[in-house]
Parts: sequence; structure tokens; C-alpha cells
Amino acid sequence: MMSVLPPVRRDRIVAELPQCFKKEACLHTRDSFHPKVISACKQQRTGTVGRFKISKVIGRRSFSRQDMHDNRFCKDVFDKNYKATIGVDFEMERFEILGVPFSLQLWDTAGQERFKCIASTYYRGAQAIVITFDLNDISSLEHTKQWLQDALKENDPSSVLLFLVGSKKDLISPSQYALMERDALKVAKEMQAEYWSMSSLTGENVKEFFFRVASLTFESSVLAELEKTNARRIGDVVRINSNDSNLYQSTKKNKSKCCQ
Amino acid sequence: MSSLGMEGTEEAQTPAGDPLALPWDRFSSWLHCICVVGFDLELGQTVEALYPPHAKLTDKEKTSICYLSFPDSNSGCLGDTQFCFRFRQSSGRKSSLHCVLDHMDRDSPVYLKKDPSCFYGYVYFRQVRDKTLKRGYFQKSLVLISKLPYINFFHTVVKQIAPEYFERSDPCLEAACSEIDRWPPPAPGKTLHLPIMGLVIKVRIPTRHDKPGTTQLVDMTPQGDAQISVSLPTIHEVDLFRCFSPVFFHIQLLWELVLLGEPLVVMAPSPSQSSETVLALVGCISPLKYCSDFRPYFTIHDAEFKEYTTRTQAPPSVIFGVTNPFFAKTLQHWPHIIRIGDVKLAGDVPKQVKVKKLKTLKTLDSKPGVYSSYKPYLNKDEEIIKQLQKGIQQKRPSEAQNAILRRHFLELTQSFIIPLERYVASLMPLLKSISAWKSPPQLKPFSQEEFMKTLEKTGPQLTSRLKGDWIGLYRHFLRSPNFDGWFRTRRKEMMQKLEALQLEALCNEDLLIWVQKHTEVESVDLVLKLKNKLALAQKEQLPVSADTLQKLQGQVDTIIQELPDDLQDILLKTTSS
Repeated sequence: MMSVLPPVRRDRIVAELPQCFKKEACLHTRDSFHPKVISACKQQRTGTVGRFKISKVIGRRSFSRQDMHDNRFCKDVFDKNYKATIGVDFEMERFEILGVPFSLQLWDTAGQERFKCIASTYYRGAQAIVITFDLNDISSLEHTKQWLQDALKENDPSSVLLFLVGSKKDLISPSQYALMERDALKVAKEMQAEYWSMSSLTGENVKEFFFRVASLTFESSVLAELEKTNARRIGDVVRINSNDSNLYQSTKKNKSKCCQ
Repeated sequence: MSSLGMEGTEEAQTPAGDPLALPWDRFSSWLHCICVVGFDLELGQTVEALYPPHAKLTDKEKTSICYLSFPDSNSGCLGDTQFCFRFRQSSGRKSSLHCVLDHMDRDSPVYLKKDPSCFYGYVYFRQVRDKTLKRGYFQKSLVLISKLPYINFFHTVVKQIAPEYFERSDPCLEAACSEIDRWPPPAPGKTLHLPIMGLVIKVRIPTRHDKPGTTQLVDMTPQGDAQISVSLPTIHEVDLFRCFSPVFFHIQLLWELVLLGEPLVVMAPSPSQSSETVLALVGCISPLKYCSDFRPYFTIHDAEFKEYTTRTQAPPSVIFGVTNPFFAKTLQHWPHIIRIGDVKLAGDVPKQVKVKKLKTLKTLDSKPGVYSSYKPYLNKDEEIIKQLQKGIQQKRPSEAQNAILRRHFLELTQSFIIPLERYVASLMPLLKSISAWKSPPQLKPFSQEEFMKTLEKTGPQLTSRLKGDWIGLYRHFLRSPNFDGWFRTRRKEMMQKLEALQLEALCNEDLLIWVQKHTEVESVDLVLKLKNKLALAQKEQLPVSADTLQKLQGQVDTIIQELPDDLQDILLKTTSS
């Protein structure tokens, strides 16, 4: 029998809420997880929270592996020679937040025009959408609005967390950056997204950003789950597993019962 | 690699990580190609697109795919339909498989091994009204062509790709192929997370060491996540209960017919019912492999049509599924026919029915049922019938019914095969008869009489409550292609084991001492022999540890160094034949 999930790496364990990058454009400014979420995690009442999908949209016409921060994040290597992605790239990460393990799917959809028509397939069911642009190219920032519209076609906009990310910070001078950031913050506010900037070359903000995304996604999913169970007024009666191994055992039991 | 901490997925992300892997190698370990089959008003069915573009199919293969990818008769099939077919690959085709994969194939259960001579086609067919088209209908199939019999898995994959493709066209297939090309290879025993078109499919590839009948993967997907993640409890099994439900009073008879490799045809109203039923039949004797040809969906255009339907010879040992009413006439002479009607409403309790006389099957509108004059060797298992009937009345979920039926078949097959396994194991020579300096001893020959004698004390009565003529069933089985296939596999495994044991014995000898006591000619002879053995061990994936092989190779190298220089040169260059 299988299905025992691999353990979560120690450096993928989150106990405190990672802070936002700019208070001017962020999803919320609380400095810790929502009290309801903390208590739910303590009591192991986090419901079916177990998997999240994050779709990353790259709002540029052409791009290389260098733009994909999450790859840098996942592998801790910087591979310049990687060929441009055809269509889509995928990674999976295990996280543990407030003692609750879960998997994070990272889908990178390509920015090529040709693949635009299929991108929405990949946004479907995503809890968070990350839209990136090149800090050195103002037109790429303009482009993000269009990508956002496409992305939201297959999603309920009210339940999706949005992030706007400027990339290649290492290539831009501080003064130019200040100008760019001003524009980017404006766009982020318009689309109600949280703004970040980073460099995959130097690694600046890469890890911070992903922990922030993972944490906010987790928090909002647990809150949504709690709301759902409260509404149904079954709260504690349906004691849904807090971790996968529990669920595994209970499913196994059910299975054998029905086979008798 | 370990930094990812995710079982299975890490390899998927690093095509650059394996220096030997070429683009499309990973794709090829799962699929041969993806075809789009459309309907051209002038040409009929045609392959409109092929991915990857360099994939090779002979004209004959393309023709087969075209006919097999569309419903054969006016069965309606409006909307989306999924089914599966199997066809012979053209002769002379070079084995395009990666050597790594053959290595993987070794650890696959025998019924999941790649079929060297056949391809599977996993079809998603869409037929909808479209006034903008001349024909008035949109008719298209997306077909995955693979050597792997992972029916359930590819069913899920094609269901994920096809609707997207029909709506969004080519880049979709390109992206899908590129995603598949980054999947880790289908290594037996591994749990894999395979991303496809925004969905992650979690599967476990079984190994031949798995205990038959155990659930391999438990679905842990919370329901709300169905859009982003799906766990398949099995990669290859079909829902036996659903497939057999139109004929479930006859499961005992059908199991015997399949076990004995009797010619069997399924006449069904649609390709999906035909293919499912054939696959269920073939799968009901698992873990035994069904060794004859089977065609989940067969049409009058098939290359083997004449061969299989001729009246000049006895019908061949084959199971096939058809939908074209034409077959009712062509196959009137067939000994065993299953006729399936349109799907019944769930919860309908089938009434007890008798096996029908073959002569009643004459017209196109014959009633559903099993038509055969076969008398089962074993008595009917009334208990399983009652249990399933009760389940229907109580509205027991289909998965539970399937599990009950699957376990029934498994226990039956195992009860039947265990005495054979036990007897065949006794044909192995004693361990002490293996010597480093002699070729491996021979296996004792299979003797039907001796085997029958063992049945008295250690027959199936030990594990099965079923009564009947087990002896008769064994006698018949020993003449069947399934026995032949099973015995060949066992024999090969045992012979390989003997070779491996001999290699180990050699490895434990000090060959250098031997060489010092023998002439140069004898030493050279030994070196050549050992080289051959080592090559064979690698080629046939003998069950020897890498350690043993390495040690033996070391011994060979040491012997060569003891020989004169000119001989050394020659021996080092000689590659074993």
C-alpha cells in the first residue's frame, strides 16, 4: 500500500505570516494569520484544504526561463540555458503552514501569443494568479491588464488572489526602478493585486514572495472552508482530517467496509 | 534533485537533467503519437493532424486508425463518446522503444507489459450538429496511440485534452505534447504526478511484485479540487460490474470461455460498450494474462477481417467487439456470442435468464444475452450472483459492486492457477546441482499426468468452494493459448533464474587460480564465454545484482591482464556476439 506523502522540507514550513512587499498595494496588511485560521489549525479543523493551484501568467510576448521565478525557487539553481517553454510549465511543492501540510501546484503559462488561446485552460480552478512583467519594459506592464482579463474568464474573480510581479530587478537602475514602481503600484491597485518586484538572477525577494503567496492562499482557503462549514452548521460533526495521513486511514477503512 | 522533495515529479521538470534523453524521448515512453481523425466529404475519414510531427505511421496503420476512430454504424453516438481499440502494427516496423523502457517493462506485471506487435488507440469522438459545415455535423476524433495498456489512465488523459482541443485547436495539442514530454517515465512501483492541461493526474504504475487485488492508490482528492487534481485508483482496470451487468448471470461461463481462449464476439450498440466489455472479459482472468488476440472494437475494414470471419477454418482464439449489424450475419457460425442491448436504467434488477441456443441468433434484432452451446465445467456460483443482486436492490454504489466482482474473479483465477504455479515451481532443479563450471541444469519437463496427480491433495478445492469438473477444466486449459503463454513466461523466468544462479556461482570462484592451472587456449575460451554471459545478463535483464556483474567483469579484466599483450589487445576489442 502506498500513498504516504513525502515529508515537507524543513525550509518549506511556515509558522508566521510573511509580510507584504508594499503596503500601498497588497491584499491585506495584517501582521499575522487571521485568528480564526490560527485556531482552526490548532484544533485541526481546516477541512478539505489540501491542494492549491497557482497559475502564473507571464504577460510578455517572448521570455526565457530566467523569468520563471518559481523555477529558481523550486530548484535553487539558475539555469540560463533552458529553452523557452512550449505552452506551459509545471511544478509541485509541498508546504506546511501552521502545522497543516498541503501541496502547491505552480503552473506557468507561456507568454507567446500563439498559446494565448489555451491559457485559460490552465487558469481554471486556480486560487491565486500571478501576473508578471519585465521591469525594464513599460509595455509589458501595460500588457498585464489584457492577460488578467483572459485569466479571469474561467475563474470567479472574487475568490482569486491576484499578484502583480515585476521581474529582472537586477537589470534596472534604482532611479528608473522608482519610476517604474510608481506605475506598477497604480496598475496593481486598479486590478486589486498585491505588488512585488524581484530578481531571479540575484534571488532577491523570490523566496519571500512565494511564501507570501502560499500563506495568503492557505489563509483564504481555510477561511472559505470555515465559512462553508459554519453555513452548513455541521462544523465539528464532520471532523475532516487535518492531514493527509489521517484521511488516508479513514478512506482505507471505508474501502474495506464496502468490499465485505 | 532532492530539493524538490516531491516524489516522481522532480524528474519531470528537468529534461536537461538526463544527458541521454533526447527531446520526445519522454513522450515516446508514454505515447507513440496523437492523431486527429476527421471526416472529409470526398475522402471519408482521414488523419488530419499528427503529433509529434515526426511520428511515423505506415499507410496501413493510418487506414486502421481512421476506421477504428469513428463509430462503425449508424449508432447515433451524438455528443461525446470515448472508447478504445487495438490494432496490429505493420510488419517490419522497427522497435522504436527506448532501451530504458524495456528495463521498466521487466518490472511490469505480465498483463501490463507493452504489446510488441500491437498499438492501442484511446479515442475521444465528438459528433455535434453544426449547420455551418457541409455535412451538417462536426465529427472528429482525438486519438492517443500507445503501446501501453493503461486503459483507465489514457481514458482520463484524452478526456482532458480532447474537449480543449476541439474548442481551441492546434496550440492545445502542442502544449499537451510538450507537457507529456516532461512527464517522468512510467516506472513500475512509482507514484507519479502528471500535469496535463491544468489538471494533475496522480497515478501509481503497478509492479509485478504487487499483491494482486490490493488497491494501489487511495483517492485523497477533496471533491472541491476535482478541477485541479485527480487520483486514479487504477491505471488499467475497467469497471467489471458495469460491463458485465447486462450478462451477469453468466459470469461463471464467461470466465471459463476467456480462460480457455475460446472464440468470443461481443455485439454491442456502441464502440464504447463494445470496447469496455471486451476489456472487462480480457481483464477478468487477471493476474493471468490473456494471450490470444483481442480487439475491443473491430470493424469490417480491419486488416484481419477476412482472417477472423472466414468460414473455411474454425474460428480463431480471439475476443472481439463489434457494433456493425453486418457482423450478426457474418459471424453466425461463431461458437460464443455476447449480445448487449442498449444500456438499462440503473437499479433495474435483471431477471434470471438462460444461455440462449445459438440457432436463435439469426436476425439483426436478436435479444441481448449470451449465445453459446458451451457447458461450463464448474458449477455456477450462486452466492456471488445473490450478493450482487442484493447490491442492486440496496442501491450499493457501483464501485463497491465492482470491487466484489473483481475479488470474486481474482479468487477464482488464483484458486485455479495456484496448483499450476506450485507444480511448475517443482520443475526447478535443486540448488546444489548448480555449478560454476557446468552449464545450468535443465528444467524438468511439464508432465500433464504428474500435474493432475498433484490436484488430489493440493488442488483448487483448498481455496475455492466451487464444485464441478475442475480436472476437465485443467485438461482443456492445458491445450489453450493462455496456458501456453503462461508456461512460456514461467519457463523463461526459471531459466533466467538458473542462469543468474550460475553467474553467482562463477562470481564466487577464484577464476585466477583456475587460469593459472589451465592452458592459454582454455583461458581465452573462458574469457570469451564469460563475456558472452555478461552481455546476455545485461541484454535479458537477468535477475542478478549489479554487484555480482561488476565483480565478474572485474575477474574477466584480471584474467585478460594475465595473458600476453597481443592476446590482451584482441580480447579487449572483442565484443561478445
